[in-house]
Amino acid sequence: MLNNSRSTPFERVEYILILSVLFLMVIVTAQPILHLVAVSFSDPANVPGMSGLEVVPDGFSLQVWTLLIQNPNVQRGFVNAALITVVGTIINVIATTLMAWALAQKRLPMRRFFMVIVLVTVVFEPGIIPDFFVMKKLGLLNSYWSVILYRAVFAWYLIILIRLFEEIPGELLEAAELDGANPFQTLWHVIIPVAKSSIAMITLFYLVLHWNEFFRAMIYLNDPNKWPLQVVLRQFVVDGDKVGMVGLANVSSYTDVSQISIRALKAGMITLTIAPLVLIYPFILKYFTKGTMSGAVKG
Amino acid sequence: MNNNFEQFTQLVRRWWPFYVMLAPGLLYFFVYHYLPIWEARLAFHDVRIIPPNTWVGMKHFIALASSPVFLQVLLNTIVISTMKLVFIFPIPILVALLLNEVRSGSYRKLVQSVIYLPHYLSWVVIAGITIATLSPSDGAVNEVIGWMGYNPVPFMTDTGSIRWVLVFTEMWRSAGWDSLLYFAAIVGISSELYEAAEMDGAGRWQKIWFVTIPGIAPTIATLFILNVGLFLSQGFDQVINLSNDVVRSHIDIVDTYVYRIGLQTGEFALATAAGLFKGVVGMILILAAHMISKRLTGKGVW
Repeated sequence: MLNNSRSTPFERVEYILILSVLFLMVIVTAQPILHLVAVSFSDPANVPGMSGLEVVPDGFSLQVWTLLIQNPNVQRGFVNAALITVVGTIINVIATTLMAWALAQKRLPMRRFFMVIVLVTVVFEPGIIPDFFVMKKLGLLNSYWSVILYRAVFAWYLIILIRLFEEIPGELLEAAELDGANPFQTLWHVIIPVAKSSIAMITLFYLVLHWNEFFRAMIYLNDPNKWPLQVVLRQFVVDGDKVGMVGLANVSSYTDVSQISIRALKAGMITLTIAPLVLIYPFILKYFTKGTMSGAVKG
Repeated sequence: MNNNFEQFTQLVRRWWPFYVMLAPGLLYFFVYHYLPIWEARLAFHDVRIIPPNTWVGMKHFIALASSPVFLQVLLNTIVISTMKLVFIFPIPILVALLLNEVRSGSYRKLVQSVIYLPHYLSWVVIAGITIATLSPSDGAVNEVIGWMGYNPVPFMTDTGSIRWVLVFTEMWRSAGWDSLLYFAAIVGISSELYEAAEMDGAGRWQKIWFVTIPGIAPTIATLFILNVGLFLSQGFDQVINLSNDVVRSHIDIVDTYVYRIGLQTGEFALATAAGLFKGVVGMILILAAHMISKRLTGKGVW
């Protein structure tokens, strides 16, 4: 690879420099995450003295993980997040696909009007307080539906999907119409199979959005039992609330649990929150290029 | 008349399934985007415990304009957004240029798949990572600073450094991902241009300067304008998770201010006014961005 027939020694040094700069970026990106993973699997006794640069566990122990997995707050947070993510994404994908397919019809009467309705919401946002009051008047405060529905269709993803649908060759549709298919059948039997990867991409983006949601959950859900994992994590890591995490009894008494350093618990908690994303990340890498190549990707 | 009616029924017969498909989405946009716009009229009212609220006109906007806290918040927003624009904007372009020089496909894929990842992490998670990495006692950054013979810096609680924390964490999160759009643009440049440049004896840097950069200039322009258009609307999730009592006055931005005085203190009308102010200025910026971009490159923001 390096030995381009015409490359001079200087050019080779240059090339190695370029590779090194990129390698440095990889390190700076990955090291902080790998460090936390390493801390979470280390022997809790060794954690207080661990260097921040360490990326290999110091001793090996599953104590932190056992503790986290048995913690009722974490369990509830995980289940809540999974519920919101799955139900939310199903609604997102159905509503977005239907709407995008309708708006991709260039001759649909009043199409421009509907596009403007969508674009206005991209351009103008009246702020969080009116959102909150609408949710309150709908009686959805403290209901999972508030967090699921407030972004049932994400305008940017809708726009991306409309653009992708518009690229589908017209002959396919004409053939379906000649066969006597109605628009729903065409969408289901022709469009969705053809646009599988576009819809997969949108699905993955929505999954990530829901999984990462914390702010709306924080303001709409008063009941801590309904909080998704991100809010539980925030309470613990950002607000530093150890009591809520390991329980008052454990903090004040000399138990195994109180012996585990808060640093190790935080590291484990962060790793746990990232884990599902890392699982779907390969699929994101597989599908996203298509969306990017075909225009604006936002979000 | 009769003819018009027939045309109408024909249109309905042809298109009704598509309107059915539109319905759920339109209902959503109406309820969650248009009702809030109506609800924002609160900005012109005083909230009373027993409704109805009283109309007070521009009172809350005048109160904001003469509030030192709000002016500080506005200043913070502008300073932080400017810092981000100046220091972060060029990085993804450089990353894309470097990636394009890599001849080994597998090395490039490796780099890409690592540097895109932080874009998918929530700011809660990134805040957790940042607090750990910048910790004065056992954070990686302070350890490196220690090697160089300096004392540890409490970045998160230092008013002098907290804005830089915002800049660098944003860079950590998005420099990789944002390079994607530039990289896609570079891939789209015709290879004939490079071959012609090589015939003329152009080296690596000359090819970058005379072929690649002109080739991605429209993308650079569009994204720069878009960034200016989104000037006010960045960083809420970031600031709310990286903020603390010590540094709040230095990084409180309009969005976090609206949240604090509205949902935490309960000054709903004033907070709505501040949010509405930001909404209107943001709208002007993004519309201007869209029109300038359309004129310059023929491609709008959406």
